[in-house]
Amino acid sequence: MQYIQILKTESLTINFGGLYAVDSVDFHLEEGEIVGLIGPNGSGKSTFFNLITGIYQPTKGRIFFKDENLVGKKPHQIAKKGIARTFQNNRLFSDISVLDNVILGMHYRQKTNLLDTLFRYHLVKSELRAGAEKAMELLSFFSEELKANWSRRVAELPHADRRRVEICRALASGPDLLLLDEPAGGMSPEETEELMRDIRKVKETHKDLSVIIIEHDMAMIEQIANRVYVFNYGRKIAEGPFSSISKDPGVIQAYLGEEEEDAAA
Amino acid sequence: MKAGLDMKLNQNISRLLFLGIETVLFGLVYFFLVFEDMISIFAVLAAMVLLSIAINRIPSLNRVVKEGFSHSKIPCIVYGILFVLAMPILFKDKPYHIFILFNTGLFAVLGLGLNWQIGSTNIVNFASAASFAAGAYASALLAIHAGLSFWILLPVSGLVAAAIGFILGLPCMKTKTYYLSLVTMAFTIIVYLLLNNMDWTGGPDGISGIPFPQIGSHSFGSPISLFGWSLPYQANFYYLIVFVVGITFFVDRRFRYSRLGLAWNAIRNDEIAAACQGIDVTYNKVLSFCANFFFDGIAGAIFAFSMGYISPESFSFNVSVTVVTIVIVGGLDNAAGVILGALLMILIPEKLQVFQNYRMLIFGLIIIVMLLVRPKGLFPQTIRKYE
Repeated sequence: MQYIQILKTESLTINFGGLYAVDSVDFHLEEGEIVGLIGPNGSGKSTFFNLITGIYQPTKGRIFFKDENLVGKKPHQIAKKGIARTFQNNRLFSDISVLDNVILGMHYRQKTNLLDTLFRYHLVKSELRAGAEKAMELLSFFSEELKANWSRRVAELPHADRRRVEICRALASGPDLLLLDEPAGGMSPEETEELMRDIRKVKETHKDLSVIIIEHDMAMIEQIANRVYVFNYGRKIAEGPFSSISKDPGVIQAYLGEEEEDAAA
Repeated sequence: MKAGLDMKLNQNISRLLFLGIETVLFGLVYFFLVFEDMISIFAVLAAMVLLSIAINRIPSLNRVVKEGFSHSKIPCIVYGILFVLAMPILFKDKPYHIFILFNTGLFAVLGLGLNWQIGSTNIVNFASAASFAAGAYASALLAIHAGLSFWILLPVSGLVAAAIGFILGLPCMKTKTYYLSLVTMAFTIIVYLLLNNMDWTGGPDGISGIPFPQIGSHSFGSPISLFGWSLPYQANFYYLIVFVVGITFFVDRRFRYSRLGLAWNAIRNDEIAAACQGIDVTYNKVLSFCANFFFDGIAGAIFAFSMGYISPESFSFNVSVTVVTIVIVGGLDNAAGVILGALLMILIPEKLQVFQNYRMLIFGLIIIVMLLVRPKGLFPQTIRKYE
């Protein structure tokens, strides 16, 4: 444990032509915590992840990861600092194999370059082989069946397996911060249970891993998260343990308000 | 014990069958080139198509081909290489055919390079003619004005073309997909117009008087005497291009099974997800430009020295279209497929008259059909196997 606060944002804001997708958000995450991020659809949760990972640049505010300001850095530079993520819409590399996808998660930890590929190929070969072994281990951590499907193209896998592969890919680089964007999306209750157990297993083996998890499944958040943030319309409206935010009137209003809108429409 | 012997027997049978099929295929290519009348040519073409469909559809035949190859990769490859090397001997009295095969080799190199862009990183680059021209003109000018030897000019032309690839690649990073293709098309046409209009490139007359390469006392302009046969001088260039195709193929394999090749495939699928794995997308895309252009430049130098003169006519936009067709038909990110694509796209127009007049139209139609029916090419990318 080296950092009290491994991630911190100060007044983080992004303005899309007048629309504040994320509005003055103060956020902090202590090393080793699992923090839940909830809120109605469109409240800026995924945008928040995109800001942290450098896919969007904020219009205002700062992001500190391991005491270093991330604003202005490109996604691949930020990834190298030890942040990995999954995507709400599951962005895997569909036409290559499951194994290749997970090995790609290790890309920035690997070292061989163009010259090595041309003239010192034995280094490349052993690097790939080591990567393949580690990837197989990661896959079997989730299920032997997943590991057996290593050579199939990702596009051929069922939905829940694709989500698991994406988590494997994110873990492959041994990140310090893991951002999970609706990992249980589209999963059945049994699959969600399994996922919860797997996330706990991961956390047990990596004690220093810090996690932010966006989810709509409240049961999952309640069981996994140490603390919860609630977003609405890009703003943070509540922060604290699940037991208190679930009773927060503002939070209830935000979700009820969404239900009312849906009912009226 | 008996099971072991059975397996051995089966393996040997499938091995022999595979070599048999290889012989048939090579024979078909030979006869395709040799026959002059349309009926025989179409017959051979039909036989090739039928054989390919049979191998694809009939499971037992399919198994034989796959197993035969995997059990005895080395003998099959050596056998194939022997055939390739024997072609000039088979055609020693028909130098034009050796020239066609040499041409095929040139386009195979261009295609293999382009494959790293279209196939690997999803950059549909229509500037192959420009990089080809860069290598040709660089080698021609340096040979005539600086008197440099062909063998030094080979890598130099590659580097010149790669530098041009870098110059084209950087601004291309601001554009995506279709717009990037348009930029490469514009670049090709600009290069063509410049070559036609600048004095130091010789304008429409181009550059002539390029000497033949030499190895020791043997000039590439003189016939080769081998085992008592006399092979026409085109054989020199044929063997050279076969060697270069081999090297390009070898480099392609190394790229594919490497951290670099994986990164390129990631970029092809999802640039943002790729960036989130720590992949520098800009660097990798520009690198694919340079790698592609490097080999195009080398092909250009070989072309220049095989003709003795070059003019802008050989580097029109049509050349780029041909190379793109080869990659799309042959198979994205599949080197063997690309080589086959080159064979198809160069040999067939040579023999079918109708192609001569409507070549670009037919290539355009082929691209459209392939993209609709089988967008990944005849031989799509295979799965990487480890250990």
